[in-house]
Amino acid sequence: MRAHGAAAALLALTSGTVLLCAALALWRRAARGIVSALRVQGFALAGTAAVLGVQLHEPLLLVTAGLLVAVKGVAIPLLFGRLVQLDPSSSETDPVVNVPASLVAAVVLTLVAFVATRPIVESVRGVPITLVPFGFATVLIGFFVLVARRKAVSQMVGLLLVDNGIGLVALLLTTGVPLLIELGGTLDVLLVVVVLRVLVTRMHAELGVFDLDSLQELRD
Amino acid sequence: MVSMLIPGLPLLAVLVALVVGWRPAMPWAGVAADGAVAVIGFALALHDIHGSVPSGAGGNLRVDSLSAFMVIVIGLVSMLASWGSVRYLRYEVSTERCTPGQAQQYAVLIQLFVTTMLLAVLAANIGILWVAVEATTITTTFLVGHRRTRGALEASWKYIVLCSVGIGIAFLGTVLVYLAATHAGGHSLHALEWTWLSTHAHALNPAVMRLAMGLLVLGYGTKVGLVPMHSWLPDAHSQSPAPVSALMSGVLLSVAFYALLRFKVIAVLCLGETYPRELFVALALLSLGLASLLLLTQRDLKRALAYSSTEHMGLLALGAAAGGPLAISGVLLHILGHGLAKGVLFLASGEMVIADGSSDVDDARGLLARRPALGGAVGLGLAALLGFPPFSLFVSELTMMRGEMANHMAWAVGLSLVALAIAFAGLTTLGRRLLFGSPPGQAPSQRTPLLVMAPLVAGLGLCAAIGVFTWPFDEILRAAAKLVTS
Amino acid sequence: MTGITVWPVGVVVAQVTLFVLGAPFLVGLMRTVRCRLEGRTGPPVRQTWRDLRKLLGKQRTQPEKSSVFFAMAPVVLVATTLVVVAFAPLLSIDTVFSGGSDLFAIVFLLLLGSVSLALAALDTGTAFGGMGSSRLMAIVALAEPALLVAILALAAPVHSSSLPIIVAGSLHHPMWLATPQRILAFGAFVIVILAESGRLPVDNPATHLELTMIHEALMLEYSGPDLAFVVLGESLRLLVLLALLSNLFVPWGIATSLTGLSFVVAVVSLAAKVALLATLVAAGEVMVAKLRLFRVPELLAGAFVLSVLAVLSSLVIA
Repeated sequence: MRAHGAAAALLALTSGTVLLCAALALWRRAARGIVSALRVQGFALAGTAAVLGVQLHEPLLLVTAGLLVAVKGVAIPLLFGRLVQLDPSSSETDPVVNVPASLVAAVVLTLVAFVATRPIVESVRGVPITLVPFGFATVLIGFFVLVARRKAVSQMVGLLLVDNGIGLVALLLTTGVPLLIELGGTLDVLLVVVVLRVLVTRMHAELGVFDLDSLQELRD
Repeated sequence: MVSMLIPGLPLLAVLVALVVGWRPAMPWAGVAADGAVAVIGFALALHDIHGSVPSGAGGNLRVDSLSAFMVIVIGLVSMLASWGSVRYLRYEVSTERCTPGQAQQYAVLIQLFVTTMLLAVLAANIGILWVAVEATTITTTFLVGHRRTRGALEASWKYIVLCSVGIGIAFLGTVLVYLAATHAGGHSLHALEWTWLSTHAHALNPAVMRLAMGLLVLGYGTKVGLVPMHSWLPDAHSQSPAPVSALMSGVLLSVAFYALLRFKVIAVLCLGETYPRELFVALALLSLGLASLLLLTQRDLKRALAYSSTEHMGLLALGAAAGGPLAISGVLLHILGHGLAKGVLFLASGEMVIADGSSDVDDARGLLARRPALGGAVGLGLAALLGFPPFSLFVSELTMMRGEMANHMAWAVGLSLVALAIAFAGLTTLGRRLLFGSPPGQAPSQRTPLLVMAPLVAGLGLCAAIGVFTWPFDEILRAAAKLVTS
Repeated sequence: MTGITVWPVGVVVAQVTLFVLGAPFLVGLMRTVRCRLEGRTGPPVRQTWRDLRKLLGKQRTQPEKSSVFFAMAPVVLVATTLVVVAFAPLLSIDTVFSGGSDLFAIVFLLLLGSVSLALAALDTGTAFGGMGSSRLMAIVALAEPALLVAILALAAPVHSSSLPIIVAGSLHHPMWLATPQRILAFGAFVIVILAESGRLPVDNPATHLELTMIHEALMLEYSGPDLAFVVLGESLRLLVLLALLSNLFVPWGIATSLTGLSFVVAVVSLAAKVALLATLVAAGEVMVAKLRLFRVPELLAGAFVLSVLAVLSSLVIA
């Protein structure tokens, strides 16, 4: 019983960290800080998988955890690192929504997540499932970053926040989707980041900007 | 084992492109591969009427009549697009708009794109389907941005970000389905299989499935280009090279729609008719309404065609909402007809860009007088898109509406007819200016090369033939529709 | 019975005496740590006490046309803080008003001191006074909600906002200490405490630069015994806040029974914990630069987010 309690607390800790990192990414202005929040989030996500794996004696989840560490904890932040070096001054100097307001928005979104996931949490009971709101809130904050931030790097971070949040929800709900799917999904995310990185470098090389505001000619 | 072979064909073309490098004749490998895909698709569809399901890749791929039909659509449209790519690449390389390396990259990516779409329709379970659809986004992003202009860059950024988010939402939906399936006794990959899900649909938790279905429609709907998740579509379609637009509009949207069709069956079995129908009708009417209104304001042919795609996806969604065998076979026929007609029109617009430097209607007025063959193809293509006989879209739209009426959706049919009338007005105005307007400047009349005309004629001919002759599609469609009607 | 009633009064006396004596040393300790880390010798730790003694011997001055607010503010500041010191469970869970030492009450008592000081600064009619008090109020208005919500997160698991019950609860369930809501609430508390006590990165206690100072601007017009009271009150408040922080999040050592030995343990452990915290804060101040004033709301909004997340986690996990 005690070990069970400890596992539950650890799970709460790791999944709480995922959400906290999303809030941190919104809080920090410097690209470097945002990327390190993302890195911690990757590790927290892997930690969630590892704790679940140990608790449920599922060795496959440990493999998933290793995969998550490699891709979301190491590879993706590395890819970002190069981008940040390319544009050392890159920080959200003038976000569409200022920082205090976006933090308040994050709070509101978190509340929305808690309310919206009530039906699932109540219809399918269990310790990991009560933590689903954390993941859902991370997804919503990711959406918010996508809408409210105009730097290319921030948008990539927003996309990854959405993805990490969804990953967390998936882990907590189903204690891991089949490994084949997990593998496909994680590699897809990695490829998306690679593609986005190429696009950003191309944007920089051809237009000399990292700001998506300068790309607004297509509209009706 | 045949199902393993189908995605392997475009991969062979990829291999050719990788080994041979850029040669003027290299893109023909893709045309051959995609043509072979269409032929095998036909063989499988005719074979499958008798009910056998070959599967491969450890049970992760399978073929039934519906996926065989989709293989035909993908094969035919991508054959047209690859055919157009031959011309496009030769022109771009000869005018030094792109390097031989970039041309090779294009040839590789476009066949990888076809492969991923084939994997999506052949996937035996919803997990593989999801991975394949996500992979289509990755393979197409560089294709969208192939022309490397500012607009292309913007379009590809928007495309990958929006579609990744959409597909992320679809993943969430998939996870919820998995949750419901494991609680209903399913295990691992097995619980994600289409066949398992449809046989156990009644046992799935309805609360979870409700949410799952909402997320899946939202997620895959982004990729289908349904309003309000459509905003990537006009940009990506207008900025891509013409053959890529043809592929995206003609089949990529339909492949995502295929996923929705299959999910809807499970949702209907689990939740009853009402909820999925409401979901589909809402998105359908939104798409029809907004797209037809925006069609009125377009001055760029490619952008107009993009909005017309959203409009046609709305029509499909409405047909799917009705759900009877009649409506569904109309939907499937419409997928094929729309793919062919849109493919032809996008390829023609690509030729306009090559000749006049843009796809803006005002820069290309008097097309029929200046380039009779190309103008004729555009005119016929527009006629096909507007649903004139003998093209198959006439038959399919009529069939869908009959199916909808049979399912007591008269009011929705009425609304969709209003939207169709608006779209009709928009497209005919645009077509009239493009084809008959007074030419800008003193442009001499030109002959259009055979290489350009051949795929256009082939596409239009097929589209008309399918509209006129019932064999072999009536049997194929009946078998396929049976799979997605409960 | 008599033993039990006498002891809590003893605790009150001991808390007041020890805290009043210790508070100036705390400020001195932090200054010394900072100086050492910056490679300077700095004044001795007991320097603050010496200053106070000297100030107490001097004459009072009061600005012209200032009212009773100016005169009363230092007294109110020290008095409210002393009430907190007397009744909060700082050394022992058992206090005279064990039902009355509510966290909300403590927060508002401490706030009362700040408000009276801000009013007094307005009362002086000088430009700096007005500027300081408006800035202080802006910070307090943002910090208080964060603090109150963070308290809610701590109060939720025990269904009570009474400080002794919260502390006793975390002593009985050590598992709680590592839960997300605790960690998040801790983050929020730390930020709010730094803001309320005027430390870096919100305010620099060592500056007299007009454009940046906040707390210094408030006490600019005080002199002699009044200044001594303000300094004592502010240092006392810092000590109380740090002690509360350590009791809420690392409660071990606090006296649960009223024996002499446990009391000694409580005094020693609290002194050690507060000294450690103060050293950390001072060391942190060497590392960070002061935030520009318009960035302070971002920091405090962050604290608010932390505390809301803390509440939500406590709801989820409970």
